[in-house]
Amino acid sequence: MQDLFSSLSLAGWALFHLLIFPGGLFALSAGLLFKGLDRKFEARLQRRVGPPVVQPLLDLVKLAGKESMLPETAHRTIFHVAPLLGLVGMAVCAALLPVPGAYGGLPGMGDMLVYFYLLPLPAVALILAGSSSSSPFGALGFSREMTIMFAYEIPLLMVILAVALKVGQGQAAEFSLGAIVAYQLENGQFGLHWALLPAFLAYLAFLPGTMGVPPFDIPEAETEIVEGPLLEYSGASLACFQLAGVLKSIVVLGLGVILFFPGTVPGGAALNVIWFLAKCLLLMCVSLTLVKAACGRFRVEQAFSFYLKYPAGLAALSLILVWVSL
Amino acid sequence: MSETTAPAALKHFTLPIGPLHVALEEPMYFKLDLDGERVRGVDITAGHVHRGMEALASRRNFFQNVVLTERVCSLCSNSHPFTYCMAVENLAGIEIPLRGQYLRVMAEEIKRIASHLFNVAIMAHVIGYKSLFMHGMQVREIVQDIKETIFGNRMDLAAICLGGVKYDIDSNLLEYADSNLRRTAAHVQELIDIYRSDTFIGKRTRGVGVITPEDVFRLGLVGPVARSAGVPMDVRRDAPYAVYGNLEFSVITERGGDVHSRAMVRLREVAESIGIVLQILRCMPEGERNARLSAIPAGEAVARTEAPRGELFYYVRADGSDVPLRLKWRVPSYLNWEALAVMMKDCAVADVTLIVNSIDPCISCTER
Repeated sequence: MQDLFSSLSLAGWALFHLLIFPGGLFALSAGLLFKGLDRKFEARLQRRVGPPVVQPLLDLVKLAGKESMLPETAHRTIFHVAPLLGLVGMAVCAALLPVPGAYGGLPGMGDMLVYFYLLPLPAVALILAGSSSSSPFGALGFSREMTIMFAYEIPLLMVILAVALKVGQGQAAEFSLGAIVAYQLENGQFGLHWALLPAFLAYLAFLPGTMGVPPFDIPEAETEIVEGPLLEYSGASLACFQLAGVLKSIVVLGLGVILFFPGTVPGGAALNVIWFLAKCLLLMCVSLTLVKAACGRFRVEQAFSFYLKYPAGLAALSLILVWVSL
Repeated sequence: MSETTAPAALKHFTLPIGPLHVALEEPMYFKLDLDGERVRGVDITAGHVHRGMEALASRRNFFQNVVLTERVCSLCSNSHPFTYCMAVENLAGIEIPLRGQYLRVMAEEIKRIASHLFNVAIMAHVIGYKSLFMHGMQVREIVQDIKETIFGNRMDLAAICLGGVKYDIDSNLLEYADSNLRRTAAHVQELIDIYRSDTFIGKRTRGVGVITPEDVFRLGLVGPVARSAGVPMDVRRDAPYAVYGNLEFSVITERGGDVHSRAMVRLREVAESIGIVLQILRCMPEGERNARLSAIPAGEAVARTEAPRGELFYYVRADGSDVPLRLKWRVPSYLNWEALAVMMKDCAVADVTLIVNSIDPCISCTER
C-alpha cells in the first residue's frame, strides 16, 4: 500500500484527501452517522423512539431524486450557486482536517486561518440563498443569519488566537493545525490546561451557533419564518445544504477535538481514527444534542448579546491568561 | 427611485403568515407590514374554514344539531353541544337530573384540561423548545387516555345529548379516572414549575403581547386572555350553570397580561379543573341521568358557558316544529382575536406566531 501511495502524485494525494479520507467519503459517512445518532439520542431524551440511524442518508437519497424548483422571481445563478458554495467550502475543510495519529493535515501551512475563512461559507451560502430567493422569509432569515454570524465568529477568532499564541509561545502565532496537535501531544492537551479552559468553554458555546441548532436556530426558525432561506429550496439543491451541514458538523467537531483534546491512543492509525470519532461524538452529545434538547429558541438580539457577553468574554479571558502565562 | 428612499424600500416589506403556516394549527391569514424585524401593521383575513354551519343548523332537527354542534371544533367539542343543549332545555323548560349535570360538568372539565395542555405545549413548540413540547403532550396523553377509556373517543366525546348525557361511569371507571387524574396533577404541578422558572420560556414570553385591563373591557375580551390581565371573568363563577355552584374552585388570574401570564393562567386552570373533576368523582350522586323530553315550544332562549377559550354563547329560536328557526352562537375567539392587533403592535416577527398561539384561537369555531 505504501508503495502505491508514494507513487501517486501530489495532486493524487490531494484528491485522495478530498474524496476519500479525511474529507469526502469518510467525513460524509461519519457525519451522516453522527446526525442519525444525534436524532436518535435527542429522541430518547424526549421519550420518543426516534427515526432509524440511517434516516439522514435516506432523506438525502430522497431529496436527490426530487425536482429542484426555481422560484419565478429568484436570481437564477445565485440561487443555484449558493448551495454549492457551502458544500465546496465544507468539502475543502474536511480534507484539511488532521486526524491525530492517522493523518497530519497539510504540514507547514496556516490551515487554521484557512478554516477561519472557510467555516462561515455555509452561513454565507444561506445569506446568498436568502437574498436570491426573493421570498420575504428568505430575506428575514438572511438578515438574522448575518447578525448571528457576526456574534459567533468573534469568540471563534479569539479562541483561535489564544491557541495560536500558546503554541507559538509568544514568539509567533502558530496557525498550523499539525503543529498545534504536535505541541499538545508533547505538552499536554489544551482542554485540560487552566489558561485555555475558558477558550474550550467558548468553543462549546460556538458549536450550537455555527451548526444552527436550538437555541440558535434563529435564521431557520421553523415556527417563525418557516425555514427562512431554505424555504424556496427543494430537491438536489436542498440536499446540497444538508450535505454541507453534515460535513460541517464533522469539521467543527473535529476542529474542537484537534484544538483541545487531540490525544492519541497506542495501537495504530485505524484505532486512532475510531478514537478521534469517539471524541467528536462525545463533543456533539455535550455541545449540540444535550443543548438542543434542553433549550428553546432565542430571539436574534438575545442570541447576539449572549455571544458577546459569555463566549466572547470567556475567549478573551483565555487570551489574557495565555498572554500572562507565557 | 432616489437614494434616500432605496433603503426604506428594502426595509419595509410585507410578510404573509398563513393561511397555512407551521405554527398555526388552523388556517388564518396575517398580512404583516414589517419595518426590519418589527411589525408595524397587521391585517387579518379569515374565512378559510367557513362551512356554513349556522345555515345547516336551521335545516336539521334538534337532535341532529347535537351532532352538528359537536363538530364545530375538536378542541371545544364538548362545550358546543353542552351550550346548545342548555339553550334548547332552557327553551323547553327541561330540568336535568343532578347526576346528569355532574356528568356533563365532568366531560366539560376533562376537555378543558386537554385543551389547555395542548395550547401550552404548542407554545413550547413555537419557541422551538421541543423537549418541553413533548413533555406537555405526553402529560396530555394521560388525559387523552382517560377520555378514550370513559367516553370511547379521544376528541369528540359524544357525551352530551338533549336532556342529559349519553354516558355513565361505574365504580371501576371512577377509580380509573381518579388515579389517572392524580397522576396528571403531579405532572401538571411540574409543568407549572417549569413554565414559571425556565429561562427560555421567560426570555421569550414575558412582556410579549401585553394587554391591559382597559383593553380587556374595551375589546370585550373573555376567558384566559381576560384573566391573564387580572380581570376575574369566568362564567362558571359569574353565572353558575349546571352544578358549578356546588363545586369549589377558584377563578385563576395573573397580573402580567402577556404571553407568559396567559400560559400560566391555562396551566393553573388545568390544576383547578383536575380539582373539580376529583370533587365530582367523590360526590357523584346516584339516580337518573336523563330527563324526560317534552316538545320544544315556539320561542327563543339563550345559554352561556365557559368554554376553554372563554364565554360561549348560544341563541336558539324555535317555531314549535322539530327544526330550529335560527341557531346562532358566538365563540370566545371571535372577541379575542380583536386583541391580536393590540398585542402585535410593534412586536418582533419572532413573536407573531407566539402571540397568535397565546390567545388560543379556535378558527373553526369562529368561522364555522
